[in-house]
Amino acid sequence: MKKRGIGVGSMFYGMGYGFSRQDIGSAEVEICEDGSVILRSGEVDYGQGSDTIFCQIVAEELGIRYDAIQIITADTFTTPNAGPTSASRLTYVTGNAVLKAARALRNRLEEIARKMLGEEDLVFVDEEIFSETHPEKRISFATLAKEGHLRGVAMVETTWHDITTGDVDRETGQGNAYSNYSFATQLAEVEVDTETGKVEVLRVIAATDVGKAINPSNVEGQIEGGVVMGVGYALTEEVKQEKGYVKTENLGEYMVPTSLDIPDIETHIVEVPISSGPYGAKGVGEPALIPTTPAILNAIANALGVRVTDLPANLENLHRLIRENEKNR
Amino acid sequence: MQHFEFHSAASIEEAAGLLAEKRDGCRVIAGGTDLIPALRNEDFHPDLVLSLLEVESLRGIREDDNAVWIGPLTTFTEIVESEVIGRHFPLLAQAAATVGGPQIRNRGTIGGNIANASPAADVLPAALALDAELQIRSKASGEKRVPLAEAIEKPYRIKFRPDEFLTGIVLRKLDAGTRSAFEKLGRRNAMARARMNLSLVLRQDPDGRVSDLRIVPGAVMPVARRMKKAEERLLGKKPDEKWIEDVSNRLVDEMTGVTGHRWSTEYKVPVMRNIFGRMLKGIIV
Repeated sequence: MKKRGIGVGSMFYGMGYGFSRQDIGSAEVEICEDGSVILRSGEVDYGQGSDTIFCQIVAEELGIRYDAIQIITADTFTTPNAGPTSASRLTYVTGNAVLKAARALRNRLEEIARKMLGEEDLVFVDEEIFSETHPEKRISFATLAKEGHLRGVAMVETTWHDITTGDVDRETGQGNAYSNYSFATQLAEVEVDTETGKVEVLRVIAATDVGKAINPSNVEGQIEGGVVMGVGYALTEEVKQEKGYVKTENLGEYMVPTSLDIPDIETHIVEVPISSGPYGAKGVGEPALIPTTPAILNAIANALGVRVTDLPANLENLHRLIRENEKNR
Repeated sequence: MQHFEFHSAASIEEAAGLLAEKRDGCRVIAGGTDLIPALRNEDFHPDLVLSLLEVESLRGIREDDNAVWIGPLTTFTEIVESEVIGRHFPLLAQAAATVGGPQIRNRGTIGGNIANASPAADVLPAALALDAELQIRSKASGEKRVPLAEAIEKPYRIKFRPDEFLTGIVLRKLDAGTRSAFEKLGRRNAMARARMNLSLVLRQDPDGRVSDLRIVPGAVMPVARRMKKAEERLLGKKPDEKWIEDVSNRLVDEMTGVTGHRWSTEYKVPVMRNIFGRMLKGIIV
């Protein structure tokens, strides 16, 4: 028989390392004489899209094209230490360092432009700097950059952003462990084949509070990727050990979901900006993943009246629970 | 890293000649989806790997009045997409559609799936349920035909002499009204070895009595085979709830009679019983 169920998983997540552990990011932004920009940071983009986010931040601050920025990352010879890529912290921590560096340079350029244009209300848009009240008074970003170099103004800025928190009370465990928190809720609908123990996830609806989506497509991708990992964690992925030796030797045995195992994922990006994030942004990496497995397991419980307490809920494990449940009736 | 000679035969005669000459030290390769990982694992150490992929006469699907001939180099994708197979042997197409993923189905061949004789093969049990015959060729004996059921010796071993190779799979057409069903249970919906699969072929007389039944479970025994004792229980009977339960019990008894009790038995026995029951009910008229 096939039985359906719906489950909810909710989470809050402390971004960064918290508990007084070092939590820093850094960046170096350089404006060249031709108006192009080089961004250096020791962070690693391993596919989650942090390079994109950082270039977007620089482009936003300086009013220049995204593709005018060259980014160099994760090179110990040339880039400043930005800490590890983990804890869903790159946008939140290193993003702030990038923002600070770009904004400092923009302030210097603005000072020069004020003198050149004789206006105070300047905006940086589409590679130009102009007065809002007298838009005919304008200068190109490239000209202004050259002017900065000619006047001997520092056109390189290196920044450091530190969100290292205090610790909780060691006796009571109470206190504010993290710099900030993000929130997410997901709904999963499953269909369980009670005769085989096979679970199909029919759909997942994911709502994630990201503070501010600097790149909404990227956030959607992160949420969908998180759900995929959560489906695998719930249903198929398993590391077997025997007397301390790992017996799951390769990805042929460690069953990551395929596209045929993934349902429609409906993403809802919730934006509640926080003052400590760049433009109000929070991290989204892990928050996208955490609610999926509980939502699926709750949906299985809703369908069967059986609660899974050992992962994964694969064919054998779930069918054993179903059999035990029938026996106990 | 293994060192071996590689040769791609241009014709059946050339392949037969090389096999006769090299004998034990030769492994035949078609799509390579089983052989390449086995070579990497150093499961064996051949002197010569002989590719048949360029032998065009080992490809394709041909139909005459009584039978369909499938070239061993026919890929799973070609089987899935074949109009002839879809019309006469939907069971085979269903089984082929569950192999690996699109890349493996584009590359892997029915001949390889049969000749490799993996206990977890998907197409091999379906071919057994269709009472397939193998065309086997050697330089010394020319071509002969052997029922697939008699050709399987043990896991990963077909009873070929070292100088023999597979040149065709022959499926006799089924009588009108014959129905079939295939189901595979894997840990995920693609790129998964079968935890178990089941191939069923059923024909009933006009009055509903079973005149032909073939049951071939896969991935539950060292070697897939028809479960004749269970099949015989239903022959001549009108299948009802009681008979189906009786046959499913026979089926799992026959299965555990071969395998004994293993860690997976507590899952496989009830689930085999379940999927057999529901698949049979799905094709009973």
